[in-house]
Amino acid sequence: MDKNSNIDIINNKLTKFNLAFLNNEQNLILQINQAELINVCKILKTDSDLDYSMLIDVCAVDYLTYGEADWTTNDATNSGYSRAVKQTIIPEADETFTNRFAVFYQLLSLSYNKRLTLKVFTTESNPPSVPSINKIWNSANWFEREAFDLMGIHFKGHPDLRRILTDYGFIGHPFRKDFPTNGNLEVVYDEDEERVIYQPVSISTRPSVPKVIRDKNDRK
Amino acid sequence: MGLADKDNEIIDKQGPGFVITSVDKLVNWARTGSMWPVTLGLACCGIEMMHSAAARYDTDRFGVFYRPSPRQSDVMIVAGTLVNKMAPALRKVYDQMAEPKWVISMGSCANGGGYYHHSYSVVRGCDKIIPVDIYVPGCPPTAEALINGIIELQKKIKAEESIANG
Repeated sequence: MDKNSNIDIINNKLTKFNLAFLNNEQNLILQINQAELINVCKILKTDSDLDYSMLIDVCAVDYLTYGEADWTTNDATNSGYSRAVKQTIIPEADETFTNRFAVFYQLLSLSYNKRLTLKVFTTESNPPSVPSINKIWNSANWFEREAFDLMGIHFKGHPDLRRILTDYGFIGHPFRKDFPTNGNLEVVYDEDEERVIYQPVSISTRPSVPKVIRDKNDRK
Repeated sequence: MGLADKDNEIIDKQGPGFVITSVDKLVNWARTGSMWPVTLGLACCGIEMMHSAAARYDTDRFGVFYRPSPRQSDVMIVAGTLVNKMAPALRKVYDQMAEPKWVISMGSCANGGGYYHHSYSVVRGCDKIIPVDIYVPGCPPTAEALINGIIELQKKIKAEESIANG
């Protein structure tokens, strides 16, 4: 079955809900309301014509600087490649999260060999949140903990929403665009205290995208 | 003539210190002949470290046996990216090793953060946590490079005069 027939099936099964199919040549992306997430997921998993029995991944996206580049780059050449340094690259973020964070769910239907991507924007309140789908797919447990750890998205109803990857006592959510790439603390061994201590970072943040400098106008 | 008299005769002829430096050489020979590293593969360098220990390169030839316990180890090979969360544990393992002990820092990440130098979660060089004797460059270093590092450490140990200098 092609992509369009799959869209028809999903449309027929989910007539009650607000659906938006996003244009993508490869796979199907279905954007839904976060208030309707749980009910949509239940149907996607249990309906025999859809049967999305497997949750492959849950990830979050920060749209704070979406489409913006640190600087414009030229095409790379064999010569004239260099790397410039710019200091203030941490973007300003306000406390509202209007259209800032989206959570993506990658689903797989084993019986129909079909994939589906769900896109859900979080609430605009602080902290941004979406309902947990841990009760529908158990594999969401650690995925949601990871998204909480790195992006600071709260999954309401998650049984054990702790940090999963970052250091003990870590402050902040490192994958947010307004988090400095270097972090805020670094560890070093203290000879006097005879233990590993934390201290403020000693290096400054710089863009990770190389800049190609070919003439004077590029040197800004 | 008793043995003690003979010893005194040698000391009179050669002067004091001759026996002392020989002990140093003997001790250093013994130390270089059985450098047991604590198994500490943190990332992809650990795979290359395993290659150096496996049949083809076979560090057993140098008396290098990997030990699962720091109490039985002389050398720590920090093979891979040292992250902030791991740093206190690494220091604890190092402190548990019996003296004398040496450290080989293997690969760019352990040497100075390497690819992850600007990361929020990586220690910019394991020498911020423990004293390092030998730095092996590479990303990852080949098994040959690590063996070269082990040989360099052997040279360094052979140059030590721990007993003569007290």
